[in-house]
Amino acid sequence: MSPLLSVVSSLALWVGSALLVASVAIIRPRRLYGLWNDLRDRLWEIRKPLAALVVVLIASAIGRSSLQTVSELFGLQLTWAIYALEGNFVAWLQSTFGSPQLTMYFSSVYVYGYVFLLAFPFLAYLALPRTTTVKRLLVAYALNYAIGLVLYTVVFAYGPRNVMPDMVTSLLFTHNPEFMALTGEVNEPTNVFPSLHTSLSVTVGTFAVLTRREYPLWTPLAAWLAASVVIATMYLGIHWLTDVIGGTALALGAVSLSYRLVDEE
Amino acid sequence: MARHVSRRETLAGVGIAALSAGCLDRTRNIAGRDRSSQLTLEINAPPADRDPNAIRIARHLAENLNAVGIDARINTLGLTDLRRKVLINHNFDVYVGQFREAEPFDPDAMYAFTHSQFVAESGWQNPFGFTDINGTDELLASQRRTGGDERREAVEDLQRTLCELQPFTVVAFPDPLTAVREDRFENWTNRQPLSVGGLLGVERVDAGDGDADGTGTESGDGTAAGDNETTAGDNETTAGDDETTAGDDETTAGDNETTTSDNETTANGLIGDNPFTDSGDEEGDSATLRLVTTDERITQNWNPIAAEYRRYGTFTSLLYDRLALVEDGEIIPWLAAGWERVGDSGIEVSLRDVDWHDGKPVTAEDVAFTYEFLQDTSMGTTESPVPTPTFRGRVSAVDEATAVDEMTVRLTLDGVNDAVGVRALQVPILPKHIWEERTDVATIAGFEVDAETTEAVVTNNEDPIGSGPVRFVEASPEESVAFERNPDHFLVRADDGDDSTGDAMDPLAGIPERFRGKPAFDRLEIEVMGSDIAAVQAVGDGFADATVSNLGPDAVPRIGREADARLVTGRSGGFYHVGYNTRRAPLSNPRFRGVLASLIDKRSLVDIAFDGYAEAAASPLAAAPEWVPSDLQWGDGETDPVHPFVGEPGSLDAETARDRLREAGYRFDEEGRLIAPGA
Repeated sequence: MSPLLSVVSSLALWVGSALLVASVAIIRPRRLYGLWNDLRDRLWEIRKPLAALVVVLIASAIGRSSLQTVSELFGLQLTWAIYALEGNFVAWLQSTFGSPQLTMYFSSVYVYGYVFLLAFPFLAYLALPRTTTVKRLLVAYALNYAIGLVLYTVVFAYGPRNVMPDMVTSLLFTHNPEFMALTGEVNEPTNVFPSLHTSLSVTVGTFAVLTRREYPLWTPLAAWLAASVVIATMYLGIHWLTDVIGGTALALGAVSLSYRLVDEE
Repeated sequence: MARHVSRRETLAGVGIAALSAGCLDRTRNIAGRDRSSQLTLEINAPPADRDPNAIRIARHLAENLNAVGIDARINTLGLTDLRRKVLINHNFDVYVGQFREAEPFDPDAMYAFTHSQFVAESGWQNPFGFTDINGTDELLASQRRTGGDERREAVEDLQRTLCELQPFTVVAFPDPLTAVREDRFENWTNRQPLSVGGLLGVERVDAGDGDADGTGTESGDGTAAGDNETTAGDNETTAGDDETTAGDDETTAGDNETTTSDNETTANGLIGDNPFTDSGDEEGDSATLRLVTTDERITQNWNPIAAEYRRYGTFTSLLYDRLALVEDGEIIPWLAAGWERVGDSGIEVSLRDVDWHDGKPVTAEDVAFTYEFLQDTSMGTTESPVPTPTFRGRVSAVDEATAVDEMTVRLTLDGVNDAVGVRALQVPILPKHIWEERTDVATIAGFEVDAETTEAVVTNNEDPIGSGPVRFVEASPEESVAFERNPDHFLVRADDGDDSTGDAMDPLAGIPERFRGKPAFDRLEIEVMGSDIAAVQAVGDGFADATVSNLGPDAVPRIGREADARLVTGRSGGFYHVGYNTRRAPLSNPRFRGVLASLIDKRSLVDIAFDGYAEAAASPLAAAPEWVPSDLQWGDGETDPVHPFVGEPGSLDAETARDRLREAGYRFDEEGRLIAPGA
């Protein structure tokens, strides 16, 4: 089996099971049952933000390679500036905390935990009686992607593992080269600023805090997972601290914009 | 490139005070001077995913530059962008890269690389803007024209001059490391496994041995290098195995989970019964040689003269035959059946009977056109010629090329010796009927962007039509590319015709036995991987037969851990070097470059950046040690004979390095930063 296929199928299996368990434990069967009965109406209600997200994703899939070319030719080459700003922070992080167990943990969080983290809230908020939150979530996702794509084009920079391989090990790909088949499909190595892993995770984390009344169990879990993904981006040598700060700012901006764009019903 | 606060800003700041004080003249004298600032150098290198060694050299240099008070910035760039910046636009301070010769080379390779006559051209000719009209140019010219001891002396002096003046600093000659698996293809040479000769020399593993994907490799025969005999044991393959046809040429398909490959054109009968190469018509995968690389350029561009896209030009050399092929010092008449010297400076070359991939015959006219075209790709239509960005030194040795008859071409050499003459025979021969359409100035949407650029040097050359042993099939940019065996190539067609020896005209005269009937694969697939580690893993897991691109210190130890993968290594000519843009101060100063050279700890770099798989060197010709004078040779574990590293191995003596810079006339501020000399 090709490496890509095997990674994708194991991803589908694990995330699928996690979603199932979490749905029962967090959303509760009663709400799930309600969602099942009302699914068509609710999907119809959220059609606009859903369509917006799909458009952004398609545009990103199609336009990515040409925007990448634009970035190569005209983008700001800022690798050195990022490095000058933060120096060896990521190298320090790796050398101070690096251990095989942590590497295994962060690798799985970076791939499996992240996908779960993005997928679950969609289900959870769709199961809420009112669709405001799920609309806001979708709008925030779309904003993250859209703004992220613009910044990727403007900023041309490589991550720490590509710039200082003598100090920062590319832990994810060294220990799990098969993941590279997957991330290579969805990511360019020059798209480091901002970290989209960070921004989407922080977005989900922020929503989890804002919806703590609805899902009190989800809030600490999401916060834990989001924080893990954020640290994983740096621990694994993929992103700079600067990317993470940029990603956090992008997330907070996207969430607050989504609240402005989607009013309370 | 120094940054300055502009004069106007400074004046604005102090203007009012100065006016009120009434000492305008004195203020002008001070403010009129550019303010001093720290020297900044930008070091350009490809990212670790693309070249795991170069970035390590760049990091090492940057660290030591910072230690002596120079603000060094690393700029990581994709391979194509890096080349464009350095070779085409000359818009760089320092770069780290590899020389473009895969194998040990003749000293004349330095001609285009360092001769000052090429400073204004773009491409692989003198990217440094290096000018030394007293020594280097003369020596370069004289090594071309003389022979014997006289040439040797010129070459030795040339190396001494280059080492002294350091337009670039040679760091090390890397071993061309390759992870290969040998269950499907064997006979990988230990010299240059992935050169043209190396790839053509590869043999299919005999029937019964081909556990095609390595998925079910048993403990027994997988690791045994090379010559594992046909074990009948693992022949329980299911489908595809019953067609084992005549003789011993069959590899079983196994179960191929990789892409279904091909519909081979073997049906055309020409090679229908060739015992060496024919795969029959039945299965696909077992006859496909699968390579992995981290260098995506071969999936985007097949222009043999494009400087940005070619590394060694191995695959374009498989597409485009050259008149001669040189392998391990052996000169093999290739597209040329042979040649002889006529008169003082002429060579008369007779061609083999071959066709282009589109079926048109290769004629002397094409060859004559190629040499004229590479001198000026505009064929005289622009104000000044637009020469080829690669092979420039080689074609500059040819004054004139004329077709004598259909199959004979006469090259008039520029008074060069035989060695340089043979180099001149090694340029890709291009089909006139395709490339004569590409002589116009390159345009974007109909607008001329630069009169110095022709279509020929910027075209991606989609659907390349050459005459070589492989043909282009398909590609998906940045992912993969596929070639197929050219059944009409002279290696195959002539070998097929007859094998009786007593023939008067052997169509394969001069071709070594190991190339006859080759290539042994029906299809050649190259897939782009994310990093050197992923590439090694792909070979270990049986998704690929060999790695093409460079392997770094993290990837090499993996090969030992992968049971089926084996490390092949040989000698390379593609030395890593640090190139300086001598057009820019203070890199224009050879004394300054000399100090930079002594900041590079080549010996430690060989251990750290190459895991020991490289040879540190001072001279660019070190791969051909017979040319290197004893005073430039790198003894065992010793330090650089010309610019020894300042400090102990592994630790820089920054204070001594600063003293050297002070001696050379440079100044430091109170914080120890090197002050940029006035630009």
